[in-house]
Amino acid sequence: MTDATAAVPAARKVPAWAEGPISVVFALVVSILGGALIILMVGENPVNVFGTLLRGAFGTPERVAGSLLQATPIITCGVAACIALRAGLFNIGVEGQLYVGAFAAAWIGFGFQLPPVLHAVVGLAAGMVAGALWISIPAIMRARYNANEVVSTILMNYVAVLLTSYLTIVVFKRPGGWSETEPVAATAHLMRLIDGSRVNIGLLIGLVAAVGLHLFLTRSSAGYSVSAMGSNPKFAEYGGVRVKRNIVLVLLASGAVGGLAGGVETLGVHHRFMEGFAPGFGFDGVIAALLANGHPLGVVVVALFFGALRAGSLLMEVETSARREIITVIPAFLILCVSAQFLFRRRGGVSGERRWRF
Amino acid sequence: MTAAPPKDSDLAVELVGITKRFGAFTANRDVSLAVRRGEIHALIGENGAGKTTLMNCLFGMIVPDEGQIRVDGRAATILSPQDAIRLGLGMVHQHFKLVPSLTVAENIFLGMEPTRGGLIDRAAQSARVRDLSRRTGLTVDPDRPVRELSVGIEQRVEILKVLARGARTVILDEPTAVLTPQESRDLFRTLRGFTEAGMSVILITHHLDEVMAASDRVTVLRDGAAIGTEVTAETTEGRLAQMMVGRPVTFGRKARAATGGATVLSLRNVDAHDDRGLQALHDVSFAVRAGEIVAIAGVDGNGQTELAEVISGLRRLSHGQITLSGRDVSGAPADQVRAAGLAHVPADRLVRGVDTRETISANILMGRQHQAPWARGGIIRWGIVREAAKGLIGRFDIRTQGPDAPVKSLSGGNMQKVVLAREFSQEKPFLLVDQPTRGVDIGAMEGIHDEVMRQRAAGVAVLLISVQLDECLRLADRLLVMFNGRIQAEMDPETATLDEIGLQMMGGRTSERAAE
Repeated sequence: MTDATAAVPAARKVPAWAEGPISVVFALVVSILGGALIILMVGENPVNVFGTLLRGAFGTPERVAGSLLQATPIITCGVAACIALRAGLFNIGVEGQLYVGAFAAAWIGFGFQLPPVLHAVVGLAAGMVAGALWISIPAIMRARYNANEVVSTILMNYVAVLLTSYLTIVVFKRPGGWSETEPVAATAHLMRLIDGSRVNIGLLIGLVAAVGLHLFLTRSSAGYSVSAMGSNPKFAEYGGVRVKRNIVLVLLASGAVGGLAGGVETLGVHHRFMEGFAPGFGFDGVIAALLANGHPLGVVVVALFFGALRAGSLLMEVETSARREIITVIPAFLILCVSAQFLFRRRGGVSGERRWRF
Repeated sequence: MTAAPPKDSDLAVELVGITKRFGAFTANRDVSLAVRRGEIHALIGENGAGKTTLMNCLFGMIVPDEGQIRVDGRAATILSPQDAIRLGLGMVHQHFKLVPSLTVAENIFLGMEPTRGGLIDRAAQSARVRDLSRRTGLTVDPDRPVRELSVGIEQRVEILKVLARGARTVILDEPTAVLTPQESRDLFRTLRGFTEAGMSVILITHHLDEVMAASDRVTVLRDGAAIGTEVTAETTEGRLAQMMVGRPVTFGRKARAATGGATVLSLRNVDAHDDRGLQALHDVSFAVRAGEIVAIAGVDGNGQTELAEVISGLRRLSHGQITLSGRDVSGAPADQVRAAGLAHVPADRLVRGVDTRETISANILMGRQHQAPWARGGIIRWGIVREAAKGLIGRFDIRTQGPDAPVKSLSGGNMQKVVLAREFSQEKPFLLVDQPTRGVDIGAMEGIHDEVMRQRAAGVAVLLISVQLDECLRLADRLLVMFNGRIQAEMDPETATLDEIGLQMMGGRTSERAAE
């Protein structure tokens, strides 16, 4: 009786399981309407622009492959962000881990000679180690000194981008110019899945990672401990979960998967490390994880959507006067909607009392 | 037993036939309540009986589906708290709604500040608070920031805030939950002053002793319906308890067979510090044997929290030794203490006891997610967990739809049962129960006490930490009184009187002299 929310269940119009998906669809609709408004403001016809966007993303088998190609790193980066999110931690540094992972994998690829398959595996492993190393500083600082990992992982992004640039331009400079490394040996290339497209086995790696994370969190003892820690750390600590140790382990795992995403890009797509090769894949992954509310399978869905937006916007830029940047408005609106819902949910938590404000 | 209906003109507030449904759940069923001018009317009932819903209807926070509200004899439409305030109603919530960084006067006049030339007239504001303070006897310093106040004083500010808005009927929701006995007595004296001045008070509580001490009449709610209204002077605690629960309730000391076993838990010269780095435990030594209940009594904040945390591995000790089942667990992390033989009902169930977002099954699993038969090869066997949860829901009478229901859908008492179900079913040699019946109603309290006694009979060593003295006396074989981080005294619960124990809770001899 003292706790109005516990004793008095709120009147529900939709079943509990449907609330998540419904709110995502709602956010999508609002975002697309917002995007349409912006397109109108730049003097284009939204129907025409969105039509072109759709054709660009799904018009032909090649374009579908293009969408999948764009979605691949977002899926893996999203899984990386999910790992941290479900333990109640924020890894905003996926972008940085992607960069160092990409460079480490490329370095294995062009700097060493190994038999096929093994070469690629070692390259990806190196990417994961690099990603884990990259987040180890924020991880230890969080566990030991309670330093906010949001800030420290973001800052590490800048260091990663600049460090890999330095390594590319100065240390491993390729004779003859270009801000990219030597090409990766063919033995380290990842297997392609579709003829005439750069879609590679990395897509499957991302999907397996997402499914694997889902099973880990829902089925395994360790996964239970991790998600309990994310949901109520005091409860987990009381139940015997070693919270500090897990903070480090979870962040290392998250960073490793971020590094893996980078390794896949260099060994599977570009076959070299290029300065600034990944326009915001890491951040898109973080956003996908937030939109999916930390659900790894939801991340796949959101990442496919983002991939389609990226691929579709290429054609849109060619055929209409709308620029590619316009399309970044849609994820931006999505974030806005989702954070607004988050706030509303918070307010709902004190229902019955919330009108009691002077 | 229902008092004769008074004349309409005597009534400050009248609720007639209030019904409020939430979906399929009926929170209030045809409830009528008449509060006379100049009376303290207690409203009692178990958790979930519908007291809060009824008051939320009166105060305009929710709108009833059926029924009528009359204020001062006139039918009233109350659609928002603003309407209620205009009609002279005021509500003091259990959880205060004050702005910590603002002063007392600023909080009291928030949103209705006296102004001069468009600016807040601070001098007038403070003067009005002082005037109000003097008239009501609620002493406050108007210029002190609220964050520097104790909870008792914060409550005074809340009451003054309500009075400053012209309340003639004051509703207090569980006002004594945060107060010391002394502060409670002061509060009731103040409330009596209000009613002598012609105001009315509605007192929501589930402490029967307060009802008996402070109220003129009392209305009992059960399962959303009003069971009856009694004149306090003509009823008894036992009768009210029976009305609340629906069956006779006993309060006496639990009968027990003598048991005595080996020492299970022992503390030797334990020191520990609190979160601010101040020493919270001083040289604490005691032992708990198998089949025995040792109770730690004391006023809240005398080191009980730190004691529980140190024993359960959630806080490091700075000196001394703790042994559990023959193993040295001084400074061991929580999982190792649990492995050595600890089951633990924590004091604050919402913070440590449950994960409200998870299902009952997932909450039952905590602490044994790595153990057979709950898990095998690192994989949780959810089928077994669910079956176990189902069994515990039956055994502990947890009112819920089933093991997959989220814990946040349960009432406070049922959440506590989830914690008890998990910990009591661990079958560990040592059980630490910290405030097991805090915020739990009388019916559930019975069941919890019986369950603790069953654990004792099964040979478990039980350490009970409670600020409820009657609970300690009812259950304990030995009673330790804690004061200022020390074990102040050991007493025999069979022979010690409340006065003797109370004296030790205040620090023993020194306070005796101070009191004289």
